[in-house]
Amino acid sequence: MKKTMKTLAGAILAASMAVGAQAATLKMAYDSDPVSLDPHEQLSGATLQMSHLVFDPLVRWDNEHQFEPRLAEKWERVDDKTMRFTLRKGVKFHSGNELTSADVKWTFDRLSESPDFKGILEPFAGVNIIDDHTFELVTKEAFPLLLNSATYIFPMDSKFYDGLDANGQEKDILKKHGDTFASKNASGTGPFIVTERQQGVRVEFDRFADYWDKQSPGNVDEIVLTPIKEGPTRVAALLSGDVDFIFPVPPNDHDRIKKSGDTDLVTLGGTRVITFQLNQERVEAFKDQRVRQAVNYAINNEGIVKKIMKGFATPAGQQGPKGYAGYVEDLQPVYDLKKAKALMKEAGYEDGFSITMMAPNNRYVNDEKIAQAVASMLAKIGIKADLKTMPKAQYWPEFDKRSADMMMIGWHADTEDSANFTEYLAACADEMSGWGQYNSGNYCNETVDALVKKAGAETNPEMRAQILQDVERTLYEEAAFVPLHWQNLAWGASKKVAAADVVNVMNFPYLGDLVIKE
Amino acid sequence: MLLFLMRRLMQGLIVMFVISIISFSIQDNLGDPLRELVGQSVSEAERQKLRDEIGLNDPFLVQYSRFLGNALQGDLGQSYFFKEPALDVIFAKMPATLELVFAATLIIILVSIPAGVYCAIRPDSWGTKLILGFSILGISVPVFLTAIFSIYLFSIELGWLPSYGRGETTSVFGLWESGLFTRDGLLHLILPAISLASIMLPLFIRLIRSEMTEVLHTEYVKFAKAKGLKKVRIYFLHALKNTMLPVITVGGVQIGTMVAYTILTETVFQWPGMGFLFLEAVNRVDTPLIVAYLIVVGGVFVVVNTLVDLLYGLVNPTVRLARTAQ
Amino acid sequence: MSLLEVEGLRIEFPSRHGTAVAVKGVSFTVEKGEILGLVGESGAGKSTVGNAVIDLLSAPGVIAGGNIKLDNQTISGLHGEAMRKIRGRRIGFIFQDPMTSLNPLLTIETQMVETIMVNLDLDKAAAFEKAIELLESVGIPEPAIRIKQYPHQFSGGMRQRVVIAIALSGDPELIIADEPTTALDVSIQNQILELIRELCKKRQVGCLFVTHDMGVIANVTDRVAVMYMGDLVELGTTEQILCRPEHPYTQSLISAVPRTDVKLHRFPSVEYIEKAEGHQIDVKNHWLGEQEVFGNPSGDVLLKVKDVDLRFETQSAFFKKNRRYVQASNKVSFDVRPGETFGLVGESGSGKSTIARVIAGLYPPDAGSIEFAGQDITRLTEKERKPFRRQIQMVFQNPYSSMNARMTVRDIIAEPIRFHDLAESERQVNQIVSDLLDHVGLGRASGVKYPHEFSGGQRQRISIARALATRPRFLICDEPTSALDVSVQAQILNLLKDLQEELGLTMLFISHDLPVILQMCDRIGVMKMGSLVETGDTDRIFSDPQHEYTQHLISMMPRVENLSHEGLEIEAQVAHV
Repeated sequence: MKKTMKTLAGAILAASMAVGAQAATLKMAYDSDPVSLDPHEQLSGATLQMSHLVFDPLVRWDNEHQFEPRLAEKWERVDDKTMRFTLRKGVKFHSGNELTSADVKWTFDRLSESPDFKGILEPFAGVNIIDDHTFELVTKEAFPLLLNSATYIFPMDSKFYDGLDANGQEKDILKKHGDTFASKNASGTGPFIVTERQQGVRVEFDRFADYWDKQSPGNVDEIVLTPIKEGPTRVAALLSGDVDFIFPVPPNDHDRIKKSGDTDLVTLGGTRVITFQLNQERVEAFKDQRVRQAVNYAINNEGIVKKIMKGFATPAGQQGPKGYAGYVEDLQPVYDLKKAKALMKEAGYEDGFSITMMAPNNRYVNDEKIAQAVASMLAKIGIKADLKTMPKAQYWPEFDKRSADMMMIGWHADTEDSANFTEYLAACADEMSGWGQYNSGNYCNETVDALVKKAGAETNPEMRAQILQDVERTLYEEAAFVPLHWQNLAWGASKKVAAADVVNVMNFPYLGDLVIKE
Repeated sequence: MLLFLMRRLMQGLIVMFVISIISFSIQDNLGDPLRELVGQSVSEAERQKLRDEIGLNDPFLVQYSRFLGNALQGDLGQSYFFKEPALDVIFAKMPATLELVFAATLIIILVSIPAGVYCAIRPDSWGTKLILGFSILGISVPVFLTAIFSIYLFSIELGWLPSYGRGETTSVFGLWESGLFTRDGLLHLILPAISLASIMLPLFIRLIRSEMTEVLHTEYVKFAKAKGLKKVRIYFLHALKNTMLPVITVGGVQIGTMVAYTILTETVFQWPGMGFLFLEAVNRVDTPLIVAYLIVVGGVFVVVNTLVDLLYGLVNPTVRLARTAQ
Repeated sequence: MSLLEVEGLRIEFPSRHGTAVAVKGVSFTVEKGEILGLVGESGAGKSTVGNAVIDLLSAPGVIAGGNIKLDNQTISGLHGEAMRKIRGRRIGFIFQDPMTSLNPLLTIETQMVETIMVNLDLDKAAAFEKAIELLESVGIPEPAIRIKQYPHQFSGGMRQRVVIAIALSGDPELIIADEPTTALDVSIQNQILELIRELCKKRQVGCLFVTHDMGVIANVTDRVAVMYMGDLVELGTTEQILCRPEHPYTQSLISAVPRTDVKLHRFPSVEYIEKAEGHQIDVKNHWLGEQEVFGNPSGDVLLKVKDVDLRFETQSAFFKKNRRYVQASNKVSFDVRPGETFGLVGESGSGKSTIARVIAGLYPPDAGSIEFAGQDITRLTEKERKPFRRQIQMVFQNPYSSMNARMTVRDIIAEPIRFHDLAESERQVNQIVSDLLDHVGLGRASGVKYPHEFSGGQRQRISIARALATRPRFLICDEPTSALDVSVQAQILNLLKDLQEELGLTMLFISHDLPVILQMCDRIGVMKMGSLVETGDTDRIFSDPQHEYTQHLISMMPRVENLSHEGLEIEAQVAHV
């Protein structure tokens, strides 16, 4: 019902705009531009942003965290392991080729070869083509996140990528490094065609004349994307009218954009959680649950959000944000210094101890300042933290080596699902499965692992949510790690750009639907 | 002359060779290129496979000799990010940087010479005090602030100049993307050039002032006065030419240094040049690009120094004649 | 009506600390075709007068009184454009140093043509023609080629000719020549003086000739004005001033000029300026009364210079045949006997100083050897050389540049003592330094001052004290008085003579100044372009020079005593006793 209302509203809007809607150019500035035009090359925000412009997914998230049909018109469960999709008819690729189930299968197969994406498709057995516009996605086991995964499938023009390029190399070759046809040429079904691309300088898009979604209210017929690295410059470009749309906006500049008569600030609660991990293998004391709890009590999440993040973050007591299946409303961070000290005393560490601490200084918003704040808060319960911060390029190798007793890590779940956090951050380390790959705390609770595995096979959403909430609760009680906050998202836009209608928490704005008012 | 150039060429090659060794040996400390190449959830095994493919797991000597072998054929490696030969990437960005440095140099010359000469001729005037005051301010304010401030003033408040980028460019002979021939390109050049120039301007004003003051006390200037020459000719021919000798030497080196300063300026103004490219390469741990950039910049330094020496010889007859006496 | 009339000229330099009066009411005239010498020692104000005439006083100098008339037109008080029209056009100016008065970066053509164009209102072509003509008239061969060249391609003398040509280029009525030959070698000096004299007479140009050199005065001027501390103390014909000086200052000034006819035991000092103090050295004080006995194996030779060759590369090239050299020393050989003063004389660039530096171990020679007290010291390591560094010390022409401006005089002198570990305690060091300061006539109290607080002569005393601090056997004096006034020169030379006598020093004395050499040295070597052309006893060389070049040099020597030396005979005789 809700969905129909929305579609209806969209249709009305589109109809009303149809007369007045004029071709418009969107000039936008991000902090980076896509590494490649090959949507399978790298799993990153910039790639997904590009994919949503040039390609279309089978399904996509709407603002209620529900699935919205795109190239897949409808879908139905055939059995525990199989989902049957009906492909939209008459959808054209930029090359003029028509989209068929063969393209979906081709894309799926290619995607499962991608080092970055193969993890997402791991639970799948393959694609069955029923006819030109019907196909099935089959999983190895019962898999609850099938549709989540389908948001990553952006069908590519299999005919376009067929054959050899000028260098005699196969056009569909997928390479992380080195020159490939697919990294510089693209044919998707998306609303925009790349017309010019100077890597690191600008990318220009034109609206695809034969775009299938005639219902879309979007009236942007040209996009010029410029990466602007420096926050202040990016903001200045917006304020001076050189660009109409920017992301991200540094917290310090929020007020300036709000106050300006020509610009709007659009914010959404984010999904990236910032945490510290307490290494139990390096520090004996961290094996003691009471000490870990004391650390959590000693840190003032609220204060960090207010003072350092200027209110532009949501204090976190767990991994997944609100809206995710595992979210539990009452798992809130508590700041209680007295309790923290009492716990330290109880654990026999009344006099405290010294630890080393590491954090990046150019990866997350205000990462260095946050780490400094945490260090000084810990000093109050006698934990002397020797903090070292460094650029992300140097930080990650250190993180992989688990070089410090307390390390910062932020995480966004590629699957937009609670289980993903635990798999990577809190599960017992296991090289074979890759679980616990980023668990520098070495927290290990077999029960938690078992629960997450169970959730992975539970297709009943309510049952599954229950399990994941249990996981979050256990992690909270055992103080497995130190959650700090979820980074919010902020876009700056010129007033004539209706940015609020197209942005989302995943941070790939659906610019095909963007309306620019005159 | 030929000998001089040959010697410089040798010198340049040695400089580049040394840079290559140094930058190659520190590349492990720059970070893990893989981290920037793959997504967060890619497993360690996958990463290792990629490392092997790229050759990052080879011992240093193997990697370096492979690099050197390719370098001798003019190939300094392939950028991970751009997926193109590092040299091509750098040369594609070079025009932007050189035009920026050129414009900044032009500003420095056009401002520092009159200002420095004025300060030397009228040491006690208010104008001099003002100029010297400003130059102290210029030395103490970091270029980042100058740049941001000028963006806010001229782009946002006044709306006169664009805030970022290079604007419209035209291709010269298909080799050189130039922003000097369009109004838009020139407008985009103004702010970055000014803030880049602002780093060196105070130094040059002070240098010219002190050199000129010294020259004004020389006998030949006194003699020129005694000859009955007009002031303008004394100041701007007799004195200025001699003033410029040390300025050329110091200034030439400084202008070489300016190539390094472009890193900051280009980042603030999103100027698509080599400096910005380098900073990004460091952030992305694009080691082949980093190594190639350092080698190219080393080469640029040698070229600039050579040009400065040639220019010095052009102005100073003593040097020129010694070299062409043959 | 005279060409130039200066009347009651008073020049002041006002400053925060009060007003310094540089010239105190000076009056004189210059006639057409006449050369008036303006003579005096540094600080006398003679150059200030010359500068004041064309408003080129250095700041903050001002004309505070009197007036200057050129051809009956008052020109004092004119500034800016009005004065510019007089400069070059009506008054030409020649400066002391031709090396610095031409702009090194402009061709002679540019510098001459610009002057002619601005002063004679000619076009470029005509100005060029006139420039060639002028160069020819001042005796520059091939002017059409030379005019295209830069100053550094000219020798000093040639440059001064160019400067004179420029000064004459505006057809001036008056020329002011400020020490025009001081920086030049003797032979060149003569030519230039001749040239100036000839040009003045032929063109009927008046000349105000500023100099400190009595010999020059004798050669070129018609009348002389003597200045002392801003006052004009005496004015008369050249003959009268030189032969029958009336003012006591003039008298003592003339007597201080080293004589060329007879060798004196001591230089008569300029008593008018300073009480002549005989700084008798009490040898018991010197060096804590310690005497050092050096073995002297080779008997009558202390220093033996043998076939020393040294060349400098003037143009480097990859191929040997393309390199160019200048032969600074060409098979030079001579001996210096213990206790004597050996003089090296020659014009600038003849290689005198190079030899001194080779002996001191600063340049290794390409070939040949240096023996000191029978030991070969040509090629020694730093460590091996150290004892010889102590025994051989140098005194330079310009001591200021070799002193650390941030050290006190006491520390400057103590430095070599400490370096060579010559004293047992700091107290001893202080004692030695104090005695040395007394010996050189500065007084021990001056040890706490810094070099810049001293005059040129006093600084030379400091450097002598420093050279003596290591108790050397051998002292190399490289043009020790060339930068000093006559009266100061006399003091320094007397000091050196006294020290040598008391301490039994052996000296190598280098100078381009023949009268000084005559007065100082027992034996002389004459150098020309890196070669030693003649060696012999001083008296013999001066009375009977053998080599053509020596004859030429001696004939060029300016002679004051042609005129008279009344009243000096007695002292001369004393010396002969």
